[in-house]
Amino acid sequence: MKDRIIGGYDNFVLPFMAGVIFLGAYLLIGFVRILYNIPSGDRKKLLISLITPKTILKNIRDIICDCLIHVKIFKRKALLGYMHASIAFGWFMLILLGHIEVALFVPERNGILYYPVFYRYFVAEQHHTIRGGFFFFLMDFFLLMVLSGITLAIIKRFRSIIFGMKRTTKPSLADRIGLYALWSIFPLRLLAEGFTAGISGGGFLTNSIHYVFASFFGNDLNILPTWWAYSIALGLFFFAMPFSRYMHIVTETVLILFRNAGLKVTKPRKGFAEAEIYSCPGCGLCIDACPMNVLKKNVKYSSVYFIRFLRRHNTRKINEIAQKCLMCGKCSSICPVSIDSCGIRQAQRETITNILPYDYGFLKKPGLYPVPQPDCSTDPGKEKVLYFAGCMTHLTPAIIKAMTGIFDAAGTDYYFADENGGLCCGRPLMLAGKTRAAREVIEANTKMIMDSGCNTMILNCPICLKIFREEYSLKGIRILHHSEYIEELIQKKRINVKKNNMSYVYHDPCELGRGCGIYEPPRNIIKMLGELKKAGKERKESICCGGSLGSITLNYHDRNKITEDSLDSLIINNPENIVTACPLCYKTFGNMAEIPVMDLAQAVNKNIIKNKQI
Amino acid sequence: MKHANKNIVIIGGGPCGMEAAYRLKNEGMNVILVEKGPSLGGHLACWDRLFPESIKADDLLDILKNNISDVNCFLNTEIIKMNLRNDAYDIELSNGITVLARAVLFATGFDIFPAEKKEEYGYGIYNKVITNKDLEQYFKTGKDERIPANPKNIGFIHCVGSRDEKIGNRQCSKVCCATAVKQACEIKERFPDANVYSFYMDLRMFGRHYEDLYYKAQHECGVRFIRGRVSEISENKEGKLIVKAEDTLMGKPIKITMDLVVLMAGMKNSEAGIKTAGQLAVLRDDDGFFNSEDSFYNLEKSAYRGIFFAGTCLGPKTIPETINEARSAVLSIKEYVESFAND
Repeated sequence: MKDRIIGGYDNFVLPFMAGVIFLGAYLLIGFVRILYNIPSGDRKKLLISLITPKTILKNIRDIICDCLIHVKIFKRKALLGYMHASIAFGWFMLILLGHIEVALFVPERNGILYYPVFYRYFVAEQHHTIRGGFFFFLMDFFLLMVLSGITLAIIKRFRSIIFGMKRTTKPSLADRIGLYALWSIFPLRLLAEGFTAGISGGGFLTNSIHYVFASFFGNDLNILPTWWAYSIALGLFFFAMPFSRYMHIVTETVLILFRNAGLKVTKPRKGFAEAEIYSCPGCGLCIDACPMNVLKKNVKYSSVYFIRFLRRHNTRKINEIAQKCLMCGKCSSICPVSIDSCGIRQAQRETITNILPYDYGFLKKPGLYPVPQPDCSTDPGKEKVLYFAGCMTHLTPAIIKAMTGIFDAAGTDYYFADENGGLCCGRPLMLAGKTRAAREVIEANTKMIMDSGCNTMILNCPICLKIFREEYSLKGIRILHHSEYIEELIQKKRINVKKNNMSYVYHDPCELGRGCGIYEPPRNIIKMLGELKKAGKERKESICCGGSLGSITLNYHDRNKITEDSLDSLIINNPENIVTACPLCYKTFGNMAEIPVMDLAQAVNKNIIKNKQI
Repeated sequence: MKHANKNIVIIGGGPCGMEAAYRLKNEGMNVILVEKGPSLGGHLACWDRLFPESIKADDLLDILKNNISDVNCFLNTEIIKMNLRNDAYDIELSNGITVLARAVLFATGFDIFPAEKKEEYGYGIYNKVITNKDLEQYFKTGKDERIPANPKNIGFIHCVGSRDEKIGNRQCSKVCCATAVKQACEIKERFPDANVYSFYMDLRMFGRHYEDLYYKAQHECGVRFIRGRVSEISENKEGKLIVKAEDTLMGKPIKITMDLVVLMAGMKNSEAGIKTAGQLAVLRDDDGFFNSEDSFYNLEKSAYRGIFFAGTCLGPKTIPETINEARSAVLSIKEYVESFAND
C-alpha cells in the first residue's frame, strides 16, 4: 500500500471538507451555547460525571447501545432496529476502519480529515497482503451492511407499516435534502470504490463492481466524477445536518453525557432542552404512540412536530402544542432517544403564564386545613398512617368508602387528612406551568404533613403520588400508593382476600405506571382476586384514559375518542371487569365503558374476608 | 283496488304515544300501541304534580288513558324485528304477533340520566341523596326511607347530567329548572321549617307562567337560589351531607351541611328506543336524540318513508309540547297513509 497521488490531495475533497468544517463549527458553537445556558450547578455536575468511572462506563455503554446498536428500537421491532443499527453501526465501522487503515499503511497521513474517507482513491494497492485483504473484506462487509440499511430505509419511506409504523414523520425541506444525500452517499461510495478497485484493490463487493463496469466502460475516465459525486453528497449531507433531523447522529452522544450527569429540563428552549431538541431523530415513533392521534387531525401535535417547531422558534405553534398535550408520557417512554418532551412542554407552559390572578397568602394562616397529630405517645416503631385521598378521589366517594373498608379490615389506625377538605397536592398547577403557585401549595402541605408526625402516608391518586415523591421532601415518611399498601397488607396477612371466578383487565394509569414506575403491585393484587387478562397495550405503552389533567386545551369530543380507543385496547381479551388505580381513570372510563369499571380498592374491598379473628 | 293498509304501530306508551294513538284511531287508522313496560303512562305515571300550575299528573294520565280504552295496546312487549317490505314495515313483536304496518311512530321518549354516573354527588353511595324522580315518588306515596322526618337543610342541585360535557351530555334538559322550582316549593310546603337551597347555573324559565313559579319560590317559599355548580358532596359521621359549591355571584366557595339533597337528573334518549331504532339504522345526533328529516318544517318525519317521530325522542320537552307534537305527527301519518289510497 502506498500513496498514489503525490501530495495526497485532489480538488474533489473540497465539498466534503467544506461540509465537515461547517458542521464542526456549528457543533462547537452549539455546544458552548448549551454549556453557557445550563445552570452553573449543572455544569459542575457534568464535570464531575465526566471523571467518575461509574458514569464513564455508563456513558460508554449507553452510547454503544443507543447511538450505534439502537437496542431500544430492536426491542420494539427487530427490522426497524436493524435498519437503524446497520446504518449507524456500519457507518461508524467504516470510519473507524478507515482511520485504522491510514494509521497502519500510510501513517504519515494521520490527521488529514479526508484521507480515511477517500482512502481508496489516494492509496494504491501494491501487492496482496493478509492484512490488506482482511481490511478489504471488512470495509466491503460494512459497506454492504450500510447499503442494506439504506435499502430498508427507502422501502420504509413508501411502506412504513412493514416496520411496524402506521404513520411516519413528514420530512421538512432540510430533512429531504439530508435524506436524499444520505441515500446517495453509500451507493456512490460503492461505485467510486468499485471503479477504483482496478488500481487500489477491493473486496468482494467493490472488485465485482469493478469487473462488471470495466467491461462496460473500458476506461478509467469515470473514476474522478464518481469521487466528486461521493464528496458532494457527503458535503451536502453535512450542510443539511444542522437543519435536519440527522443532527441527532452527533448530538445524541452529548445528550447521553448530560442525562447521565443528572441534568434536567429547566428552560424550554435553552440548555439541556436544546440538547434534547437537537437529538430528536424525527423517527416518528411518537406519532403512533400519542393517544391523541386516534384522530388524524391531531397528528400535528405529536412530539416530533413539537420539537421541529421548537427548532424553528415558532412560538405560536409551540404554545399551541404545549398546551394541547395530555402529558401522559407515552412518547417519552418509547422514544429511542428518551427525549423528555413532556418536561419541555411543562417548561414551555411556565413561559406562557406563571402568574395567577390571586395569591396563596391565605395558606400561611394557621389552622386553615388542620391535620391533627397522629398519636405519638405510643412506641415510635408503630405505623402511624396518614391517609390523603386528594381532590380527585373526593369526586369518587366510592373509592374512599372502599379504602376505609380496607383500613378497618386491616385494623389500620389511620388519620384521614383531608376528610373535610384538603389542599391540592400541586401537581395540576405544576402541569399547567404554574410552578410558583405549586411551590406555595407544596410548602403548606409539607408543613401540615410534617406536623402530623405520621410515618406512612397513603395516597389514592397517582397524580398526587408523583408530586409527593418527586417534589416534596418528607423525610422519614413512607409515601405509598394504595396499591403498594394493599399488597403489603396482603403479604403481611393483615387482610385476606378470596379468589373469585371473575376476570379482570388492569389499566395502567399514566401517572402511576410511566409516572412512578408502579406496574406490578396492582397486577399482583388482581391475580389474587381472579383472573388477570392482558390488555392490547399495557404497562409503559398503556393508552391514556383521555381524562388527563395534563391537557389544557383538548376538547371533550377528542377526549372521548381517546377514551374509546383506550377502552378498545382494554377489552380486547373480553375481561368481565376493568380495574384501574387512579380516580380520574376510574371516573373517565366509568362514563363510557360497557363493563364494570372499578378502582383497585373497590375490587379488593369487595373480596375481602372480614372478621377473620375468632 | 288494493286493500288499504291502515296499520300504524306506535312504539312507546307514554303521553306522546297515547295521544297519538287516540288521534290516529279517530282518523280511522288501525292503531297498535306497543309498550315495553307493564303499564301505560311512561314517566308521567311516576310524577305527582306538573308545573307550572301543579295539576295532578294522574288527572292528565286518566284523560289520556280513557281516550284509548279501545285501542290495541300490547304491554310488556318489545319490537324484535322490523323490516321494510313493499312500502310497509314487517314488525315482529315479542308476544309472537307480527304486524305489517304502513307507518311506525317512534314515541320512545327519554331516560332519566343515571345520577350515579355523577359520582361526586354520591347518588347510590350516600343515603340522603335522591333524584327528582325519587322525590316525585315520595310526594305521590309519602314513603321514602331516605327522607328524614324533620330535615333542616334541603338542597336542590340543577343540571345533573345536563349541560355537562364531562359526562357526555351537553344538551340542556329544559324541563328540570321548572321542575326543581316546583319541587322546591312543594317540599317547603311539606317541611315549612326547612331551609331550601337551589344550586343552579342558569334558571331557564322559558314557558308561560314559569316566571310566576320562580317568583313564588323566592318570595313566598323563601327558597334560596345560589348561582354556582356544586363541586362535590361528602358525608360526615352523622350521615349528613356536606355540599361544596361556589357562589359565583358572591365570588367565593361555600360549604353547607344538608339533611337531604335532590339531584335534578336530566334527560337522555331512551336506551330501549335507541335499540329499536338501531334496527333501521336511524341516525342520531351528537346529543343522542334522533335526527329528523329537517328541524324546521318536517320535525316529525324521519329520513325513512313511513317512520315518524314525536315527543322527547327528538330532544327534551314539556308535556304540552309533547302532546302537540304527537298531534302533528298524526297529521303527517294520515297524509302519508292516504297517499297510498290515491295510487
